[in-house]
Amino acid sequence: MARYAMLIDLAACVGCAACAAACVLENEVPPGHNRLWIRQRELGTFPDLTVEYRPEQCLHCEHPPCVPVCPTGASHQTEDGLVLVKAERCIACAACIAACPYDARFMNPAGYADKCTFCEHRIARGEDPACVETCPTGCRVFGDLDDPASPLHAWIAAAERVDVLRPEMGTAPKLLYLNTPSKRGLARQESEVES
Amino acid sequence: MTTFYGLPGAEAFWHWTTLVHFLLVALAGGTAFYTAVLGIRRPDAVRGLAWLALAFIVLDLFMLWAESPARFRFSHVWLFLSFEPASAIWWGAWGLATSALMLLLLALGLGPARLWAGLLALSSSVVLAYPGYALAANAARPLWDHLLLAFFPASGLLLALAVLVWLRPAEEAAPWLQVAALASLALAALYPVALASGGADARLALVLWLRGWGWFLLGGGLLFLAAFLARRAPALAGACALAGAFVLRSWIVEQGQHSLFVHGF
Repeated sequence: MARYAMLIDLAACVGCAACAAACVLENEVPPGHNRLWIRQRELGTFPDLTVEYRPEQCLHCEHPPCVPVCPTGASHQTEDGLVLVKAERCIACAACIAACPYDARFMNPAGYADKCTFCEHRIARGEDPACVETCPTGCRVFGDLDDPASPLHAWIAAAERVDVLRPEMGTAPKLLYLNTPSKRGLARQESEVES
Repeated sequence: MTTFYGLPGAEAFWHWTTLVHFLLVALAGGTAFYTAVLGIRRPDAVRGLAWLALAFIVLDLFMLWAESPARFRFSHVWLFLSFEPASAIWWGAWGLATSALMLLLLALGLGPARLWAGLLALSSSVVLAYPGYALAANAARPLWDHLLLAFFPASGLLLALAVLVWLRPAEEAAPWLQVAALASLALAALYPVALASGGADARLALVLWLRGWGWFLLGGGLLFLAAFLARRAPALAGACALAGAFVLRSWIVEQGQHSLFVHGF
């Protein structure tokens, strides 16, 4: 079994949102909703200024709080660690939306909870997720954490920092951020996924 | 300054219909629980109450079905074809279904009534408890503190008693109403204390609570009046309890769903 994860090098992200556009096109995301969005922050004081772009989406947590709250098993975790929704089982109660600490889910107008799937249909064909393939700066990489040959390990080893969102939630996200500009100068954080 | 390209799913996911559901499920669970307690002692005297509780359950289930975007997929059947004991809503579905069955048997006078009343006491307790569990289970929503595990059953029973005090002999329901109002009031008073004693997220939630403290003052005042008037003017006490508990529960449900993460880092 694989343990899929994604890395985003924030030092290389220019906030072009090509990933967000690719996600919408690939997954036919309904208007007004997003499986992926970019958070832009201005940091520092003149003259030491920077802008940080942080793409956000479902983090496919190792311990996803959205799964146990689902009353029908529609929200589930695959053996490969992907957190997915069986639309036909979903009763649209929004319990999973409430449980997600990252605001990654939304209610699809078709009547089911929707979110990033890491493009599981593309993974099944041996392709990268659309956001990874599209990124013009190559700041994203996708792979299997349990595969020693995966480029994930080289990226993590070379990174100045590795961060996860809201580590205090204990969800062990499998989307990790490398070289976060706002954390520059702070001690390197070993994420739960790395250990 | 933080801006977004695209937006996270941070808008409200529950709407006014959900607030009505939280009211109806409390009326259903509380009336069923009251029916069960009376039914264990006097099974023949609770047929009318059983029909009333059953009507609340039917109304609540209809409301849930009607407001669901999935209503014409009939995916709700999966609630009963799945085993998801970690999910509060799964427990709620089974609690409502079991309570409806027990209430129907009690209302029709079929079978061992005391046994049905005993089982109803258990299933209706689940119905009273699961909304609080459904909220408190969300660590990501700090306004939905663990204290709600106690507040929602207490205020749910209070809502049902507020209606029953109009329909039943006052001397029967009024003492219950007084106790439930005092318990709900005490828990509502503890709520900001519980928020203040939490972590960083909970302290943000306390700030949010401070913006809505007026609603708590109003709701708490009405609960105090309900407890004070319970034996003096039961009908008025019932009105105060109904309004007070509804205000407090609705504020918690409505405000608690707003994301704090979207504004932070």
